[in-house]
Amino acid sequence: MSTSLRPYLQCVRSSLSAALAISNFASQTSERHNVPEIEAASSPELLLNPLVISRNSDERTFIEPSVNSVRVSLKVKQADEIEHILVHKFARFLTQRADAFLILRRKPVEGYDISFLITNFHTEAMLKHKIVDFVIEFMEEVDKEISEMKLFLNARARFVAESFLTPFD
Amino acid sequence: MLLLDYHNVLIHSLLTERFSGSTPVSIDQVVSDFDGVTFHLSTPESKTKILISIQVKCFRELVQYGAQQVLEREYGPYIVDPEPGYDFSVLIDLENLPAEQEEKHNLIMRLALMKRNAMAAPFERAFDEFAKLSEEASRYTTESAPQGVKEGGEVMAIHYREEEAIYIKASHDRVTVIFSTVFREETDRIFGKVFLQEFVDARRRVLTLQNAPQVLFRNDPPLELAGVPGLQNVNDGTLSYVTFVLFPRHLTPQRRYENISHIQIFRDYFHYHIKASKAYIHTRMRKRTADFLQVLNRARPENEERERKTASGRTFRVQG
Amino acid sequence: MAQLNYRTINIDVLDPDSSINFPMDTLLPATLPAPTTSSAAAAVAGEVRQLLRGGDPEAALRHVLDTAPLGGDERAKEVHLAAVTEVLQGIRQGEMSRVLEGVCTGEGGAGRADCLMKYLYKGMASPVSNQTPRKSVSPQNTGFSQIQGRNLGEGGGGQQMSVLLSWHEKLVELVGTGSIVRVMTDRRTV
Repeated sequence: MSTSLRPYLQCVRSSLSAALAISNFASQTSERHNVPEIEAASSPELLLNPLVISRNSDERTFIEPSVNSVRVSLKVKQADEIEHILVHKFARFLTQRADAFLILRRKPVEGYDISFLITNFHTEAMLKHKIVDFVIEFMEEVDKEISEMKLFLNARARFVAESFLTPFD
Repeated sequence: MLLLDYHNVLIHSLLTERFSGSTPVSIDQVVSDFDGVTFHLSTPESKTKILISIQVKCFRELVQYGAQQVLEREYGPYIVDPEPGYDFSVLIDLENLPAEQEEKHNLIMRLALMKRNAMAAPFERAFDEFAKLSEEASRYTTESAPQGVKEGGEVMAIHYREEEAIYIKASHDRVTVIFSTVFREETDRIFGKVFLQEFVDARRRVLTLQNAPQVLFRNDPPLELAGVPGLQNVNDGTLSYVTFVLFPRHLTPQRRYENISHIQIFRDYFHYHIKASKAYIHTRMRKRTADFLQVLNRARPENEERERKTASGRTFRVQG
Repeated sequence: MAQLNYRTINIDVLDPDSSINFPMDTLLPATLPAPTTSSAAAAVAGEVRQLLRGGDPEAALRHVLDTAPLGGDERAKEVHLAAVTEVLQGIRQGEMSRVLEGVCTGEGGAGRADCLMKYLYKGMASPVSNQTPRKSVSPQNTGFSQIQGRNLGEGGGGQQMSVLLSWHEKLVELVGTGSIVRVMTDRRTV
């Protein structure tokens, strides 16, 4: 693990724990509605200051808190074309299964690869610190997975090329 | 399975079964092969006479480069008039097979290789041309060689797919085979680039591959193709040109048969492995997603709905 | 005008009593310091640099946090951010804990801690300065180096960010997550 990863994840963890202090809040604009205020953005006083946590210019986390919901967006490192396409594919794969993930947003916030939307209903039904654990583990694993997929692709390409050229000898 | 077979496995197994002396049955089967090639196996007259027809998209071009002669050499006595809608047909009489088991196997294999043989014509011609040119060239020094010898033969183009083609050019010291290949999708394009890069590097990297053909790839038409009609020069990265340079040691009569088969299979092999990689990555993502779900489910508090028992030990079951 | 589709107009914006037009000014406390300008911020930056060079990082940090331009304009805030970043980068890893403890205790210590927290987040949010602009997606490596791990090279600005991240870690250790909550809720931005 790179040395700067641990403080980064630690920072996301503490920021997210702080941001998840959310409670039920019914919509002020339409009666008998209860919507995530961060998405509706209908009342500016309910939205809090967004936080950005960056590890470097390629990797950052964007936390947008509000009174009853928090939106967490991740930008995964993409150093070259292969990583870009792998991250894109993986993010797409996950968002298509957003239903199962409950807190996964179906569309990432612009400028980021994947977003979570955590509402007060989620924090009521689930253990808050475990949700934070999940996000942290997700960040770690996505990075690892992309690396492994890239290594696999290169290794396979190398093997395939050599096997094709060998019979010519 | 790493390398692909050169022959059509379906035809091979079908004929093996028929040739083994089992009771003749009527056949009517359309078999597809790579590159949009279609076979039709049927028994139009009687159950013992199998008609095998092949349809190749670029048959007209192949004939131009001598496909008819190659096919006549391979299938001489069996050739019949092409079935309507197909380009070339052979008729096999099951009652009139070669007696030797060895011979039978040979014939089956030859029939299953029909696509390979049809496509081989321009390669054979290029190899012959190379032999002629190199002999001529040996009589001159580099400076004094006349135009024709120096520049080599004309470029033979085989448009074997909708948008892709093989170009073959013989010179006095090499035969150049160029595949043009199209990637419609971004993922394919990038995966293809990774694979092609390894093809290019393999020869430099691995000592045992020093004798392999040189491989080059680029996105604009290579110099060899200058002046070839019908080249689209759309430089949006979807079109790649892969060049194989076959050196004299690949072109010797002993290596010739094997190498023609092998280079033909390049595109299919290449695309097959791109797809296999995508499939593998997909399964990986599936697995990883399941792992993530498990982690998320840990966030749910222990389910309170444990089995509740009555005093007598019976359990309630929720109906529905 | 007849073509105008009235359904697409957000009428809430036009209604002065609508929640979307909530008067945000009322959220700011009355004790907001007087507006400052970028030249004032620059002067502070000079003083701070003096203190830093004088070998008193604690006083430098204390001073720069006490003079945060809460009521300043954008330009002043930017200049001040640069000053804070400079101080933070000027303090060695080993001294961090000691300096922090000194700054965050005593009168107004909690306020300074919150202010520092604000600056840490602002520092991470701001685009990395004095770095060569990076290409969005560089073409993949070719040749022999194609197979390699991903995390070998740090992206742009990794150095600056890791300083901020370790400050953040130390600060949270000292004052807890409450400070982060106050960053999110405090309308007095730095």
